[in-house]
Amino acid sequence: MTELMQYTITGLSLGMVYSLIALGFVLIWKSSGVANLAIGQLVLFSSWFTYGMLVQAGLPPWLGIPLVIIFALMLGWSVERLALRPLIGQPILSLIAVTLGLAYFIEGLVGIIWPKSLASLPPLFPQEPLRIGSAVIRQEFLWAAVISIVLFVLLSIFFKYHRMGIAMRATADDQKAVQACGIPVTRIFSQSWMFACVLAAVGGIRISSIGNISKAPLVEMGLKAFSVVILGGLDSFLGAIIAGPIIGLAETIGGGYLSKVAWEGVREVIPFLIIIIVMIFKPYGLFGEKRIERV
Amino acid sequence: MSLPTGIRNYTYAEDMAILRTRTHWVLLGVFLLLLFTAPLYLNDHWLGIVNRIGITIIAVTGLNILTGYCGQLSIGHAGFMAVGAYTSAVLTDRLGLPFLASLIFAGLSAGLIGMVFGMPSLRVKGFYLAITTIAAQFIIIWIIEHWTEVTGPNGIMDVSPASIGGIALKTPASEFYLILAITILTVYGAKNLARTKVGRAFVAIRDNDLAAEVMGINLFRYKLTAFFIGCFLAGLAGSLMAHTSRSISPDYFQFKDSILYVGMIIIGGLGTTTGPILGVVFIRLIDEFVTQLSPTLQTAFPNLLPGFTSGIAPMIFGLVIILFLIFEPRGLEHRWQLFKAAYRNWPFSY
Repeated sequence: MTELMQYTITGLSLGMVYSLIALGFVLIWKSSGVANLAIGQLVLFSSWFTYGMLVQAGLPPWLGIPLVIIFALMLGWSVERLALRPLIGQPILSLIAVTLGLAYFIEGLVGIIWPKSLASLPPLFPQEPLRIGSAVIRQEFLWAAVISIVLFVLLSIFFKYHRMGIAMRATADDQKAVQACGIPVTRIFSQSWMFACVLAAVGGIRISSIGNISKAPLVEMGLKAFSVVILGGLDSFLGAIIAGPIIGLAETIGGGYLSKVAWEGVREVIPFLIIIIVMIFKPYGLFGEKRIERV
Repeated sequence: MSLPTGIRNYTYAEDMAILRTRTHWVLLGVFLLLLFTAPLYLNDHWLGIVNRIGITIIAVTGLNILTGYCGQLSIGHAGFMAVGAYTSAVLTDRLGLPFLASLIFAGLSAGLIGMVFGMPSLRVKGFYLAITTIAAQFIIIWIIEHWTEVTGPNGIMDVSPASIGGIALKTPASEFYLILAITILTVYGAKNLARTKVGRAFVAIRDNDLAAEVMGINLFRYKLTAFFIGCFLAGLAGSLMAHTSRSISPDYFQFKDSILYVGMIIIGGLGTTTGPILGVVFIRLIDEFVTQLSPTLQTAFPNLLPGFTSGIAPMIFGLVIILFLIFEPRGLEHRWQLFKAAYRNWPFSY
């Protein structure tokens, strides 16, 4: 029971990080039709940048974290402007491949600036564990979950009521109509990239403040967010928010109990197995529009 | 258009011929002669690089059939190579099969695994399929890492060298001939495959799968065939890699290698036979150049960042992929065609 409780809380918290990252993906996909495979590397870059700000430059979190957000905004803007803008209207293969090139580039850049393979952030959340019943839960997880929920709410309000949010939804719906209404579509594209980078950065900070900042596992973290996207449906914000905790729970609960019967570390592949299963049985996901062509 | 001035086709056979003029034959002869005598003037270090290039050409040609001709993007090709490499290593070392048999089995097993992961391609395409193959990559590598009774705790460290008819191919030069022979067969096969019914069906599926199906192309069969051929070649490459590097571990088949293979066909030119070759040679030579150059730079500029040596190569690859997509999406192959056209028509290029 205690075990289950712990798995549940960790899973939910982890899943919400996936949701955040996945939201960034869905945002870009909906507004510009680009499949951003470099999302893991965006998480990687902003996590290490946080390390640079908080540890190497020794800034306090109230100053360092906003700087990271500003950095993420700039990163998103420049990625869209330099790599994606010239390819507007190209076949999907090129759009996927350019993000792969981006992934390579960012990974190399991070390797040059931060050659260490492991680092840790100073604790951002209170450390003492909480007791719920017989389960002992690290307070960090709860704080992380709270931050995610606050972000979800803010994002929903933004998309529902803010001018820019409405413009973004409209672009996702029909690019041509939006352009005819005088909304600059390219600006929406770059805004969605900026947003996605901020979401990736928040996800990265949350993950690395709880565990370590690493290289390959962080990238894999971003890739696991794809299973959220696939399960929730590529073009559904709601799907991403709901599917995140599902994947997180499947990873921790499934991994926790299966590791007794299967090989050690089975939780690492559960999101990828879910991808394959969803692909075979329900390719448009739980909430995705069933527009995908059956061929 | 692709014929020199004054040459015309009078028969179907002439029209279909790959080599049409005497110059073609002479150039091919000289090229093959240079290739086959390469061990005479390349030292072991460079032969090692050429061997790696050859192996990669085999794998990337497979990927090109799958992605370039049939249009099914696979970002898990390193995983399929790993299947071939481990199958071959286990078959020769544990079960004592001869090298050639395990080479074939390596290809077959990788092809079958590829077909399994290619199944979703019947329902999904584009980005969805890319994600499926990424999942395949991670699942395969995870299984290899954890099935330690078969795959060894840290990979297999003592793979026996390739041997044909009792002769062990241990030196880089002998490995070179083995790899060269298989590479030539692969490239020749790929070139001809593209011109057969199967190849044309692939291209039709890539260009418009709905139209292809209406024309009577069985999508199920041809997509799986493409997956099988692509992954079969990956398996062959993996097997060759295992028996020439003599040790394999999951680190050789990472996700970023899969990305790099996709990058290679993009840089070379999708859906062409020469493209993958050019792409592989280009990337591998940049790789070698950077590896040679960065220690020098490191000593020349001591205040360079410490991660420079390991990070600069991926950065350059990423940049090259992005720049090619933006400025030359048809790849090096297109440049090569332009060069040939200019050469043919010189000095009257109008």
